[in-house]
Amino acid sequence: MKLTAKGISRRFFRNARNSNYFYAVEKTDLDLEEGKITVLIGRSGSGKTTLINMLAGVLTPTEGSVMLDGQDIYKLSDTDRSITRCRHIGYIPQGQTGLQSLTVLENVLAPSVMYPSNSDQTKYAHELLNAMRIDDLSDIYSNELSGGELRRMSIARALINSPEIIIADEPTADLDNDTTSLVLGLFRQLADNGASVLIVTHESDVLSYADRVCKMDKGILKISD
Amino acid sequence: MIFPFSLAVRNIKRKPFRFMFMSLLVMFLSFTLFFGAFTIVSMQRGLEGYRARLGADIVVVPNSAKGHGSLDDILLQGITGTYYMSGKDVDKIINTDGVQAVSRQFFLTSAKASCCSSRVQIIGFEPETDFSVQPWISESYSEKIGDGDVVIGANVSLPDDKLLKFYGKTYYVAAQLGQTGTGLDSAVFANMNTVRQMAQDASSLLDSDPFKGVDISSAASAVLIKTEEGCNISDVTDDINIHITKVSASSARAMISDISEGLSGVSKVIGALVAVIWLLAVVILLVVFALLSNERRKEFAVLRIMGASSRMIFTVLLCESIMVSVLGAVVGLLCSFALSFSLSDTLKSMLGLPFLLPDAGMVAVLSFASLVLAVSAGIVTSFFSARKITGSETALLLREDT
Repeated sequence: MKLTAKGISRRFFRNARNSNYFYAVEKTDLDLEEGKITVLIGRSGSGKTTLINMLAGVLTPTEGSVMLDGQDIYKLSDTDRSITRCRHIGYIPQGQTGLQSLTVLENVLAPSVMYPSNSDQTKYAHELLNAMRIDDLSDIYSNELSGGELRRMSIARALINSPEIIIADEPTADLDNDTTSLVLGLFRQLADNGASVLIVTHESDVLSYADRVCKMDKGILKISD
Repeated sequence: MIFPFSLAVRNIKRKPFRFMFMSLLVMFLSFTLFFGAFTIVSMQRGLEGYRARLGADIVVVPNSAKGHGSLDDILLQGITGTYYMSGKDVDKIINTDGVQAVSRQFFLTSAKASCCSSRVQIIGFEPETDFSVQPWISESYSEKIGDGDVVIGANVSLPDDKLLKFYGKTYYVAAQLGQTGTGLDSAVFANMNTVRQMAQDASSLLDSDPFKGVDISSAASAVLIKTEEGCNISDVTDDINIHITKVSASSARAMISDISEGLSGVSKVIGALVAVIWLLAVVILLVVFALLSNERRKEFAVLRIMGASSRMIFTVLLCESIMVSVLGAVVGLLCSFALSFSLSDTLKSMLGLPFLLPDAGMVAVLSFASLVLAVSAGIVTSFFSARKITGSETALLLREDT
């Protein structure tokens, strides 16, 4: 499954002296190739998160299109786009994103039970939690987890539906070196199995896992193979 | 749609205090609505009962009946009273132009002493001419009320042996009447022969004779008049008031109209109070839902990122709102039930208006309406916040929170 951005940009309104809007992302083209890890770097406020939000289907571009296997996801109805996101795109956003009324296991399983499905993913959820080394915490509520544990939980949750596209915004921000290697190793493995992986990071360690590095600067994307 | 429902249940279970305030507000809505409607309906039914029991076009009482223990007091509050007009005045009333039929009533108060079972208002009526009490009695007793028999109002306690004692003699309780919501529920009825016998017994038993100077055989406490068809009731009333100086005639319509005005005033006050409480509660609910939804922006953003559609988020919020509202409305209704029924006697005496509790069918209708309206208010107020949240872009929800 291939994700392609064609001429996408995003403008935000802001009260400033010379203009009441600005472009967080200028007109950009980007392909996420199957089996490859793309790493996106750039300074804070350069537009990285805005770009991946558009790619993940959670922020409508001001112009341009995001194609998933030839289908513009922003031309789909909200329900169809949501189902597409749930089944094919694993998005790990910044920050702590646990649903506090659910246990760790329920958090991880949530995307798999949102829409009718024939398979019970509990076993796979335990495998993912085990891979993230938090399986022993599966029955506790997410608000009892540390920052690093929450991060690992949201990675496991993003992978529960075995998505073909994985988009991670600073996935190793709260993690120690060992766990960082573990997570990046898992992404490598998923890419080797055919997934398209896009990682936004500030950390230089991640670059060694990259098949391609892109740099954002003031809303402009520069790709270097 | 199993996921939205189960998530809503989990949200409420895990954060009960978050929803408790909303539940309390909805509880308040159903409580006030049921209580207000219950009170107004009870008063309306009381007025209907009063109108039905009066049955006459004109009611004439002696001038001495004004003040405490007046006909209004007897009819509305069950306050005991005794006053008499002479047989001569009754004859004058009968001979007034426009009077088609009259029925005499004789009032007697039992004593709070060993000679009597309890202190009640005893009303004697003439079965041959009566058009006021008899139709009502026939609803629960089809036989003729014989000499020595009494019929008791709904609030008079019925002894096991069905015998009541008045002025040293026992009388058989032939029937107990249905509730009217008026003071007549606390009265005892008998035919004129029986009541006159009681009066004579009272006269000989009591130290101070209450019938001094009264000819018990011809006197009456009240005369109920039916006017001839087509004649002007107020003309007949004026005629009696002008020409028979010792009595006071009032048109039944005027008596009912006074009560009706009182009822309308009380109903308006209750209605206004309920409206103000509702307005305040709905505004608070709107603010609470808005604040709560705002606080939960990140939670909704996370759900959207996981793949939840805006409709799914909306359903989660709706399920939460329905559950919280139903819980609050049911608790509010139960509290209102308990208070309405336990305080009905207090309310009746406080309002001084006819008050007849609604029947089971009406209570069911009021309960259902209170529940539906309170739950709807809870859902509608949450609807606006839900729409605002689900209409926002996911990334913006997430960004504004972080």
